[in-house]
Amino acid sequence: MPGQTQGSARTDPAKPRESPLGLGVRALLRKRSSRVALVVLAVIVLIAVLAPLIAPYDPAAQPDIVAAKDLPPSIAHPFGTDPYSRDVLSRVIYGARLSLMIGVLATLVSLTFGVAYGAISGYAGGVVDAIMMRFLDALLSIPRLLLLLGVLVAWPHLSIGALILFLGLTGWFGLSRIVRGQVLALKHAEFVTAAEALGASRRRILVRHLLPNLVSPIVVAATLGIAHVIVLEAGLSFLGIGVPQPLASWGNIIYDGSDQIARLWWMSLFPGLFMVTTVMTLNVLGESLRDVYERR
Amino acid sequence: MLRYIARRLGQAAVIVAIVAAITFALIHLAPGDPFSALLDNPNVSEKVRATLRAQYGLDRPLAEQFVRYFNALAHGELGWSFSHDRPVREVLSSALPNTLLLMSIALVGSFALGILIALFQVSRKGTAIDQTLSAITLFFFSMPDFWLGILALLAFTYWLPIFPVGGAIDPVMHEFLGLGGRIVDRLRHLALPALTLILLASASVARFQRAALLDVLPADYVRTARLKGLTEGQVLRRHVLRNALLPIITLVGLSFPALLTGAFFIEKIFAWPGMGYAVVNAISSRDYPLVVGGVIIGSILVTLGSLLADLLYAWADPRLRAH
Repeated sequence: MPGQTQGSARTDPAKPRESPLGLGVRALLRKRSSRVALVVLAVIVLIAVLAPLIAPYDPAAQPDIVAAKDLPPSIAHPFGTDPYSRDVLSRVIYGARLSLMIGVLATLVSLTFGVAYGAISGYAGGVVDAIMMRFLDALLSIPRLLLLLGVLVAWPHLSIGALILFLGLTGWFGLSRIVRGQVLALKHAEFVTAAEALGASRRRILVRHLLPNLVSPIVVAATLGIAHVIVLEAGLSFLGIGVPQPLASWGNIIYDGSDQIARLWWMSLFPGLFMVTTVMTLNVLGESLRDVYERR
Repeated sequence: MLRYIARRLGQAAVIVAIVAAITFALIHLAPGDPFSALLDNPNVSEKVRATLRAQYGLDRPLAEQFVRYFNALAHGELGWSFSHDRPVREVLSSALPNTLLLMSIALVGSFALGILIALFQVSRKGTAIDQTLSAITLFFFSMPDFWLGILALLAFTYWLPIFPVGGAIDPVMHEFLGLGGRIVDRLRHLALPALTLILLASASVARFQRAALLDVLPADYVRTARLKGLTEGQVLRRHVLRNALLPIITLVGLSFPALLTGAFFIEKIFAWPGMGYAVVNAISSRDYPLVVGGVIIGSILVTLGSLLADLLYAWADPRLRAH
């Protein structure tokens, strides 16, 4: 029976231990809530990738700024139009593209910094570690949104690339603490001592022996981090200092309607629903993964 | 205990100093200076700009500027707000009480509500109600602050006009009301922003607390309490909740950044005249000193909040109290 062979394979000492990624994926497929989340997220990603094929209109086109502006939802414009007569559905679809892309890229920046900072701090120890951690305490006590406000107001007219960079540069503090803790705990593990005894360099020990053990916290932080960046970007765009016009992100669609929230309710309702759904699926997946890794 | 407090106070001071250094770096890494962005308009001659720069010491060496900046901060000087034409200190200090009021109501309300939800869920662990509540708290946890604010505004001021649209008082009628009327007027204006912030913050409290309670449940003393014949309610209240109290204090300390951020958005949406409203409006007028002042004061608030929570923790934990 196929089930039996699988069972014996797991106990076979010659077989390598299952990778954290494989373990995570299998655990996600086992739980109903995370299966649903995976499907919903896949649909949203698909919408984002296929935006040019799905969107009924050009998201930046302003066909008739007098007659076609501020139209409530109808069959021609299921999500209505905005004050510039642009189709809100098309903007929400393209917004998925931009919001997800910003979320993923900014999180990659955060991961790079967080892992590097935490690993160096934990592995160096002593005074270096103490100073690096105090600095981190200070960074952690500035609310991320406020830090971004300070930066973005100083640099007016930011490009998307710079926005992504700043979102990423303000998102690694928490992760680097976790990484440092893991490195501290593993620093004196036997396999590290063995590698040291074999004459491995510090760099090799960090990259080849310590990093692979950090995969689980990194995967969790990445999933939850993308959700967080999506919310943050939307918040900044809502305040008018995020994604520049005429690009569409979920946040700046809401911003375009924020002067007349009551009259243009469709402009905050629909992009918001997409955003909450995306963030919710990411949170479900991130928390399920955390449960799996912590129980191990 | 005293030594712990002294050490923790020292740490807080170091953190505030680093925050000040970071904001200084932010200002000076930015292209141009506060005046090139602000006085873009051609009516302002280069001479006026030069005078202003000299007045603010922007023509001095960087090290000297840093010392000046630090010195000014230590004396509570945060610079001049261009859009209000008043010192930043005055603008923020008149707005701060409103923010603190909103935040403290939200803090108390969200912890009360969140803990109640978590207790209810744990007492019905695994049932359909527990799962439904988990889904609901996840929904609110995933919701961007400003979007829930917009929905609340839409629902309860436009579609069902129960609450006033915004502000802290009725701009016309407040003057003519008696004392009781004024109090009612203020409460009516406070209710919706406060409730929105409570709803937002309680979702994460409930989620965190449910997990913390479930961690405590399998402990030996819980089994002992059950075997003693206590009812499930007594076990939860006297034994489980008490031991989950320390994580609650930790969570209070951790919740300040989110609470402050939430307050910024909620104030903007409900035109609540607090610090967030002042700072967010300063963004569109590029009133840089006011934004930076808000960042500094906000960070100090968060630092003080986590300091208080740590001291509370040391006091509440009998193991730490002895030291």
